[in-house]
Amino acid sequence: MHHPLNLNDAFLTRRRFLTRCGMGLGAMSLAALFGETSVLVPAAHGAENLNPLLPKMPQFPGRAKRVVHFFLNGGPSHVDSFDPKPALTKYAGQPLPGEYIKTERKTGAAFPSPFKFKRCGQSGIEVSEMFPHLGSCIDDMAVIRSMKAEVPNHEPSLMLMNCGDAVQSRPSLGSWITYGLGTENQNLPGFIVMCPGGYPVKETDNWQNGFLPGVFQGTHIDSQHTRIEKLIENIRSNYTSIKEQRRQLDLLQQLNEEHQQARQTDARLESRIQSFELAFRMQMEAADAFDISAEPETIRDLYGAGVHGRQTLIARRLLERGVRFIQLWHGAGQPWDSHENIEKAHGKLAKEIDQPAAALIKDLKQRGMLDDTLIIFGGEFGRTPTVELNSSGTAQYGRDHNPFGFTTCLAGGGIKGGTVYGATDEFGFKSVENVVHVHDLHATILHQLGFDHEKLTYRYAGRDFRLTDVYGKVVRDILA
Amino acid sequence: MQESSTRLRRRILFSLLRAALRALVSAAISIPLMATSARANEFEFFESRVRPILVEHCYACHSAESEKLKSGLFLDSREGIRKGGDSGKPAIIPGNAEASRLIEAVSYKNKDLQMPPPKAGKLKEAQITDLVTWINMGAPDPRTNSSAIPATLADKYNEAKTHWAFQPVKNPPVPAVKNQKQVQTPIDNFILAKLEDRDLTLTSPAGRRTLIRRATFDLTGLPPTPEEVDAFVADKSPEAFARVVDRLLASPRYGERWGRYWLDVARFADTKGYVYGGREEAKFIQSAAYRDWIIGAFNADMPYDRFLKLQIAADQMEGADLNSLAAMGYLTLGRRFLGVVHDIIDDRIDVVMRGTQALTVGCARCHDHKFDPIPTKDYYSLYGVFAGSNERQVPLNSGTAPAKAYLDFEVELKKREEKFYSTFNAKREEQSKRLRSKVAEYLVAVLDVEKLHNEDFYSFVQADDINPVIVRAWHSYLLSSAKTVHPVWAPWHAYSALPTNEFAARAEGVLISLTNATPKLNPVVEKAFAEKPPGSMREVAEVYGKLLTGVDKKWVEAADKKKALSKDEDEVRQVLYAENSPASVPSGAIVDMEWYFDEPTRVELGGLSVKIEQWILQSTGAPPHAVILEDRPHQRNPYVFKRGNPSSKGEQIPKQFLEILAGENRKPFTKGSGRLELAEAIASPDNPLTARVFVNRVWLYHFGAGLVGTPSDFGTRAEPPTHPELLDWLANAFMEGGWSVKKLHRLILLSAVYQQGSDRAELSPDETTSRIQRVSNRNGDSDLPDSTIDPENKYFFRFNRQRLDFEALRDSLLFVSGQLDLKVGGKAEEMFKTPFSKRRSVYGFIDRQFLPGPLRIFDFASPDMHAPQRSETTVPQQALFFLNGAFVVEQAKALAARSGAGGGDTNAASPEAKISRMHRLLYQREPTAGQLKNSLNFLAAASAAISNKPVVARAPSAWKYGYGEFDEAGKQLKSFETLPHFSGDAWQGGKSWPDATLGWAQLTATGGHAGNDLQHAVIRRWVAPVDGAVEISGSIKHTHPEGHGIRASIFAQGKDQLGKWTLHNQAAEANVPSIEVKQGDTIDFIVSIDQSLSYNDFLWAPVIRLTGPIREANGYAQEWNAQKDFGGTPPEPREPLTAWEEYAQVLLLSNEFLFID
Repeated sequence: MHHPLNLNDAFLTRRRFLTRCGMGLGAMSLAALFGETSVLVPAAHGAENLNPLLPKMPQFPGRAKRVVHFFLNGGPSHVDSFDPKPALTKYAGQPLPGEYIKTERKTGAAFPSPFKFKRCGQSGIEVSEMFPHLGSCIDDMAVIRSMKAEVPNHEPSLMLMNCGDAVQSRPSLGSWITYGLGTENQNLPGFIVMCPGGYPVKETDNWQNGFLPGVFQGTHIDSQHTRIEKLIENIRSNYTSIKEQRRQLDLLQQLNEEHQQARQTDARLESRIQSFELAFRMQMEAADAFDISAEPETIRDLYGAGVHGRQTLIARRLLERGVRFIQLWHGAGQPWDSHENIEKAHGKLAKEIDQPAAALIKDLKQRGMLDDTLIIFGGEFGRTPTVELNSSGTAQYGRDHNPFGFTTCLAGGGIKGGTVYGATDEFGFKSVENVVHVHDLHATILHQLGFDHEKLTYRYAGRDFRLTDVYGKVVRDILA
Repeated sequence: MQESSTRLRRRILFSLLRAALRALVSAAISIPLMATSARANEFEFFESRVRPILVEHCYACHSAESEKLKSGLFLDSREGIRKGGDSGKPAIIPGNAEASRLIEAVSYKNKDLQMPPPKAGKLKEAQITDLVTWINMGAPDPRTNSSAIPATLADKYNEAKTHWAFQPVKNPPVPAVKNQKQVQTPIDNFILAKLEDRDLTLTSPAGRRTLIRRATFDLTGLPPTPEEVDAFVADKSPEAFARVVDRLLASPRYGERWGRYWLDVARFADTKGYVYGGREEAKFIQSAAYRDWIIGAFNADMPYDRFLKLQIAADQMEGADLNSLAAMGYLTLGRRFLGVVHDIIDDRIDVVMRGTQALTVGCARCHDHKFDPIPTKDYYSLYGVFAGSNERQVPLNSGTAPAKAYLDFEVELKKREEKFYSTFNAKREEQSKRLRSKVAEYLVAVLDVEKLHNEDFYSFVQADDINPVIVRAWHSYLLSSAKTVHPVWAPWHAYSALPTNEFAARAEGVLISLTNATPKLNPVVEKAFAEKPPGSMREVAEVYGKLLTGVDKKWVEAADKKKALSKDEDEVRQVLYAENSPASVPSGAIVDMEWYFDEPTRVELGGLSVKIEQWILQSTGAPPHAVILEDRPHQRNPYVFKRGNPSSKGEQIPKQFLEILAGENRKPFTKGSGRLELAEAIASPDNPLTARVFVNRVWLYHFGAGLVGTPSDFGTRAEPPTHPELLDWLANAFMEGGWSVKKLHRLILLSAVYQQGSDRAELSPDETTSRIQRVSNRNGDSDLPDSTIDPENKYFFRFNRQRLDFEALRDSLLFVSGQLDLKVGGKAEEMFKTPFSKRRSVYGFIDRQFLPGPLRIFDFASPDMHAPQRSETTVPQQALFFLNGAFVVEQAKALAARSGAGGGDTNAASPEAKISRMHRLLYQREPTAGQLKNSLNFLAAASAAISNKPVVARAPSAWKYGYGEFDEAGKQLKSFETLPHFSGDAWQGGKSWPDATLGWAQLTATGGHAGNDLQHAVIRRWVAPVDGAVEISGSIKHTHPEGHGIRASIFAQGKDQLGKWTLHNQAAEANVPSIEVKQGDTIDFIVSIDQSLSYNDFLWAPVIRLTGPIREANGYAQEWNAQKDFGGTPPEPREPLTAWEEYAQVLLLSNEFLFID
């Protein structure tokens, strides 16, 4: 709960109460007022039926209050971005010594990165020329070079990264977090997923609520659209003006009040009355949140033109308004899946995402929001240091999937900037030093938000489930 | 206002009180254990001498932190070390080191019990002495973390022996009650008995209007009509309500409501979840037939035991007709998990065991169930049942399909099936041949089987890659051949029993040890190993491989197959050709077999099977289809997968029912897969769970709360029933009534508990406060308000007010607006796209992958997993659906029209009569005086405010889209009017195209269509936002040989013609080099028909570019591209509502419409 139960709150009239809500729901805890329990029980009656998205306190004070997850879907290559491997140059075009890892397709000789690496920032962390803007923010980032997933296929790896389980239907990270924390702004969805052009592979499974209630599913927005009506379902009426709607709501409240007065206390009746008022305000607030034309030109320039700039800037506006978890996908399908000509393919993709991602870090920093906003930047796995061979055995200058070693970057939200953590082997096949499994990443993310990952649970089918299943260790060395 | 704040205050006080009581109780229980100082020294001995040994040498395998706990033994707690592990014997006997197993183990006295294992090294003598001393001291142990120890299986069985849910269903006597007056059925006795224990009574009966409304929603998911309510209110006979119940149960609407509840249990959906495009059809062909079968079964009051049996084993049940096969959708409608068979089976086990038994058997997939007596072995016994069945598509008897369409369907279906099967058989043969030639590689792979990946690591890309599924098949095959002496495989098992470091030394002795084996070793095999003893298992595998492949080659190449091989050689060959051979692809449906093939073949076969399913889904002549499970011709007993890993096989076990339910003397299933036997074990009157679970579900749907709070978990950790005797009495009555669900409803609905009110008078705030104080003194609680004694209404002292779930809500909206289409059965319809389906929600298309927003926000049951109960949330998105959603608005309009208020002024009825009509339709009552007054005020204000002038759509940026008359002779544009409608893709005359007034005139992003005559040329107008010089480029295309084509021209300021073209099936460049414009100047791109209205569409998307220096133009684009910039904002509001329609919408939004007292 945000505030201890204050009996004075209970003596508010409903109208005064609504007025107070209008000041921003984060300011007071509705949950406390209505005795909402911290663990949801899917029972039909009682106080727990009220809005489960109301803000809740974590288990201990967290460093981060909200999360942005840049999902570079398709598998960005670590050896071309944040994990330089000079040894590949030494063996260029020759088979690497030692055992090759088994991935989905056959790979051949060592394939040195076509991108140059440069030491960046005070920390001097090497970043490839693919990401000049992010390179300039490296002192705010922790680079985990020893990530590990399980299998070299997109679908199970997306599921693992997003939901903590490769195959079974489990709630996604964003769902767990909104379940645990609720959201600060009741006028906007608490968990928003933007993807320009449609859906990534595995589609809505990536932000599924699993066995958690439906309200915790991510709200998907095709960020190619610019019109609010296309972005959020039913956000505007095509039939009634706002003024007319206000008149309708006033009549509705008269009806509901008379209905309620003839009955005994039932929190559900009151709660539904309020939900109409919230919805009414949501129409205005949502449209405003998605309207980046309200931003000064310098800010729009900072993020850059193009759909990723727009999507990321919208994300910042949403964060400011208290949205809890935002996932920004690179695009429909699996854009980072560069099986061929990685130089050109990765080069183009990096150009699209580099400036907006760096802009978000800088912008949040200058607004004092980077401290309590956790940024995650990465894909579902990395790529092989060896060149992929097609069925006739010829190299096409691309790389195959590699879940055994890859890089994920974190920034803000109590993460120690300018840090490199862990390492892959000499060539970048496998993580060998301070290996961070996806479960460990999840444990760390939850920890930053104020949760013991073993204790954020939901009882379902006779068992207490958690995001990290029976695994997960917090990576303490990257925490500030 | 004062009223509601008092209520809030009271609620807070109650919850405070509850919390305070809870705190008191828990404080009383948890009195901390304090060590006395006398024991401190003993503990010190443990801490300094014993704990370090345990931590360093034992915890790796014997603690809660162990990666793999060995023999169920926990040495990290006082309780664990005293209790011991799976042996059932304690590890220590305090005071008697001699008799303690721990000492026996660490001192290496017993060869079979040496701990730590010799590899890790024996403890030092001094350490052993310390342990002995400690035990003889009485083993003082300060550790208190006893809760960390999970109960052993034996404990769980012991606990379960007394667990209520596993006891046979009893027939408890009906208890006597004081308040006999309130009793209407024996159910009331049970409820009242508990209430009277708490000095409570039932609430007085609900009013008649409330009662019929409640029962009608409850049984049919729809409101009663005003006429039905009037009739019931007027019927004073004591049988009146019983007649209403009977009428409702007989209605076809009943099955649609209650069938949908079962669909929640069955995690029903019309789609398979995420599938690979092109390789698997996303929609199920069998979902509609299953859904209709369920609805039909409820309507026909099919006995529940038969209902279950058909869903699990209709293929094997006597007397089941063809159409009953649809029932098996219960098993086959789960997610497909990208074809990972273990997950598909897991889903089936879960849906059956939670759905019918309320047991969370799925927990035992990787380890014994943590709380319930369900060992992993029992999970795999059920796994074996489903693994022994494969899928098959079966056409059902539709009875209604027109003969011609059906024949057409058949012809094409045959074609597609033949194509599929011929390819499939060829691929199977090809793959089997390949597998026979690669025996050595597979046998080598078996040696490392535990390292294999599961199917989700699909690296089996090329035909020659080692296929993990085949390796596992070889592994199972070899394991089962190990049980008896196998003439071919006995040497394999004898060699593999040798320790690795002694292999070379002892290999020679293996054949000698097998000389007297019965049956005798196959001489061909014997010879293969006699020549040179193998040096490792790898060599053994290679020898076998060479032998098998060699014999096969000889046989394949022989002209006369009969004489090709000796009898002994043929015995070896049979390994490869027997029906259960791991070196061949078994028969069955592609969905069960795709993993036997490499990636390209999977794609090819998948593509062909998609074609079949698509045809079944598309063809109008297709009969309904079922997808059933049927038994495989060859059955084998399953293996336990250790920690759920299919490559890590444990013990082989029979297929059988759960021990906790079937008893210690349970018999393995003997018929085929055992599915029918499973169904019979479930649908049996002796099963303690089946009837209880179902009556509890029925109770839950009627009352909004179950007698058991966890309807799909009756395990030992579940909350015990509030009314165990009632639960049993109902279960018993249910079975004795022939498992009739309708009889059960009648029994419940006719009780006084069901018919009581949902509200009772409350006390004043002051009274409440003083009584709360009294309750904390634990006396005088008999005169407390009832809701304080039973705040959650666990004992049913009043009826729970219920909120309509999504289906009842949507159906009721359609019903009261008079729009509901009561067509029964058939293909699912899209619910959320215009034009909206008007059928009941149970017939709505459920896409589990893209579950539509309204279903999510209204807490629809997850179609992915069995849903025990829906959650009920209140979020603003629900309100947006009501306020702005097109569906609700459509119903509001229809409701207004139906109430004589459509169109506003044509109807003669008075406003009061219209308001009254709406109230009666929605709430089955007249409006109150206050409501009537508020309503009239609203209508007056709204009528005055609403302007009926349609608002014209707005175009974006610099472009305008219009039409007008173009005077070619005078070379000028005579008029420009905006095209009024934007469809999202095109600007045109109205919603439909061609439009009644503006005809074919249309402009799109890339071109458009000329209007019907020269007065309706279409005009794309650019209005200069800036001063400067611009150039124009683009090309105009007319692409039809028919008709006479088009005329096009570019005009500046409506008078300067910059270019003109006449085109018929040809293209022209339409470029203008440079022209000066001032802000606000127009450039028009005009197209009209040439001679006749026929084929006058065209392509023309000009681009205008600034060439000269920009004046006063900071921030303006330098280029305007007709195609890229194309767009618009639809008219807003598109279709303004009338005052009456707005009013109707408000009534639909009210709490009174959504909540049922």
